[in-house]
Amino acid sequence: MKNRLKVLRAERDWSQADLADRLEVSRQTINALETGKYDPSLPLAFKIARLFGQPIEAIFDDGEA
Amino acid sequence: MNNRSPAGRRYLKRFIPAMIVYVISIFGASYGFKLFDLTGPVAWAVAIAPALPILAVIAIMGLYIKEETDEFQRNVLVESMLWGFGITLAITTVWGFLEMYVHTPGLQSFWAFPIFCAAMGLAQPFVRRRYR
Repeated sequence: MKNRLKVLRAERDWSQADLADRLEVSRQTINALETGKYDPSLPLAFKIARLFGQPIEAIFDDGEA
Repeated sequence: MNNRSPAGRRYLKRFIPAMIVYVISIFGASYGFKLFDLTGPVAWAVAIAPALPILAVIAIMGLYIKEETDEFQRNVLVESMLWGFGITLAITTVWGFLEMYVHTPGLQSFWAFPIFCAAMGLAQPFVRRRYR
């Protein structure tokens, strides 16, 4: 699924490792999310949305809307 | 396995002692049967001894999956395990029919677990590559 994680991360000047620490996941997980090859579970998607202070649908795009 | 997560570290803390017990018990059982004429319940107990740490390792793998909080790492491991199960079932099925009809040498069933581990280990980098 397409997402704006890389952009949101860059805006805050965070490395993949910084974001990984904040979400309590590994750096490989951030990479898999950013490439859009791995879709997060709903709990992780909420955690990401809360961290960036944006609704889930502003970060992830399932191509349907 | 993600060795940097708390669950990964707990996995190693459980796995290493289990493997040490395994090595000791397999040497113990081999020498036991070589040096003594073991029969009856004692023979059964000594023969089963090396299997017990392997049963523990199966449980330890299950605990890791239960305890790993990084869902992507858990997902990679579960997918790798499915490859491991599939490859193990494929090898033992083909081997079994060869054994039955053309009498190839028998594959002792304890090999199922090492085959599973090897297949799972080999599958992991390929599973990871799909998410890069």
